[in-house]
Amino acid sequence: MSNLFNLNRFGLLVKRQWMDFGKIYLGTVIVLAGIIFAFYSYFTPSSTDHNIFDHEGNLDMRFRYGLFLILGFLFISITSSTYFTNLGQKSRVMHELMIPASTFEKFIVSIFYTVMVTVLGYLLVFYLIDLGFVKYLNANLNTFKSAETLKTPIKAVDCLFDQVISDKKYLKYCSAFFAFPFLITSIFLLGSIYFNRFHYIKTAVSVIIFTYAVGYLIYKTCDLLTRNMTQINIHFNEKNVLLWIFLVSATITVALWFITYIRLKEKEA
Amino acid sequence: MIKVNNLHFGYGKNQPLFKNISFQLDAGHIYGLLGKNGAGKSSLLKNLAGLVYAQQGTLDVFGFDPAKRQPAMLEQICFIPEEFYLPAVKIDAYVKANAPFYKKFNHDYFTNLIQEFDIPVSQKLINMSYGQKKKVIIAFALATQAKLIIMDEPTNGLDIPSKAQFRKIMASALTDECCIIISTHQVRDLDNLIDSVIMLDENDIALQASVDEITEKLTFKKVKAVDDSIIYAEPSLSGYYAVMPNYHQEESKLDLELLFNAILTEKTKFKPYFN
Repeated sequence: MSNLFNLNRFGLLVKRQWMDFGKIYLGTVIVLAGIIFAFYSYFTPSSTDHNIFDHEGNLDMRFRYGLFLILGFLFISITSSTYFTNLGQKSRVMHELMIPASTFEKFIVSIFYTVMVTVLGYLLVFYLIDLGFVKYLNANLNTFKSAETLKTPIKAVDCLFDQVISDKKYLKYCSAFFAFPFLITSIFLLGSIYFNRFHYIKTAVSVIIFTYAVGYLIYKTCDLLTRNMTQINIHFNEKNVLLWIFLVSATITVALWFITYIRLKEKEA
Repeated sequence: MIKVNNLHFGYGKNQPLFKNISFQLDAGHIYGLLGKNGAGKSSLLKNLAGLVYAQQGTLDVFGFDPAKRQPAMLEQICFIPEEFYLPAVKIDAYVKANAPFYKKFNHDYFTNLIQEFDIPVSQKLINMSYGQKKKVIIAFALATQAKLIIMDEPTNGLDIPSKAQFRKIMASALTDECCIIISTHQVRDLDNLIDSVIMLDENDIALQASVDEITEKLTFKKVKAVDDSIIYAEPSLSGYYAVMPNYHQEESKLDLELLFNAILTEKTKFKPYFN
């Protein structure tokens, strides 16, 4: 039996971790579903009000973008930052490290929970609630009134994800930012093993300080290198920029996962 | 079974806890690991289990380097730490989640131990008393049938009947393939249980010997007055408890507490007997 990876041990570890992580996760999912439902209930246009439509006859459902991004960030970051908290507690760290599974298996299970379960779980919960409200709206579309006289007929509401998939422009931008949720989980997963206490706050503060420091350094370096030079305008190819956004965010994600693995390997009780 | 060579370990570069210590542990023995507070008992156990990393030296635990924490080694070790955590589940759920990692886990033996310890199986682990929790993890550790069972202060939190039960169960759990190491401050709890003693003091092993070897070389007696033949003595109500060389092959019972104090106070005087 391999000492690096064994599918049976991996399965056992997934089941065992569910005992600890699963309860926190399910609790957070219930709270999340409640928050999404509350926001939808408050902001979804009602047939009794005078609503805002765009020039194509679409109901104003723009609140969904902000809600999806902000809640998504909070959910995946909070869930990821709790994953390795056991390793910061004296009473639990020995038991966790002594479980007969390889460090690699323990690391892969952490990726499984923080990437697969957390990110996909969020998308699923958001999609189902969004779908429910969209179905309700479309079923009652003819009862909606506009604040202004409409020049086009009222259009059926699309699900948030359908909008992204069916619109090429949306899809292009979303593909470039595809690695961002994984980048967020990788940052907070590393924070959960790096810090022994107050993982979330410490990780968030570290990211802010790091981002400011890097931004300042880049600005200062560019300033020094281009001093006394003539300014010219270069038109970047948007496709290349989007590709670079994807490549850089994916590379940083993989690098952070690697550091997390090393940190887990070197963890002492 | 376990070989430690020139182990150098500390929590800081300038704070060594062990300086080049070497020893060997064999299967079929229960070792009592003794030492003052801060002598490094828990740290030595952690080194053996790969929970901390040696600065220098080599450790060989049934052919594995513990620092690599390979599953094949971990499934042969069960560590009962002094501070532990049990989740908010019932015993059945705990066993279901953790036992499959140990190939030799004996479910019947576990059930017997739980019954013998009188643990309420319907109660959630988190709601049990500290002593009950400790009994659950002791039962779990023994049921894994691991080759190496490490116990750090296992009798802390156990009441008097439970301590007697613990001694009885531990004595019956020892097999020829298994090695048990028990670290404790409460040396009286190890009476009639351990067959070998390891004492740590001043970054080193002050004594490693079997109980038979100790009682063969030393005798533990109650005397009325102290004379030159006595290596170490402690006053008692009606005289002294004394440790002296066993010149006449007398049979005496090992007084662990007396030996512990004697070794720590008169380390150099005992060296010739155990080198």
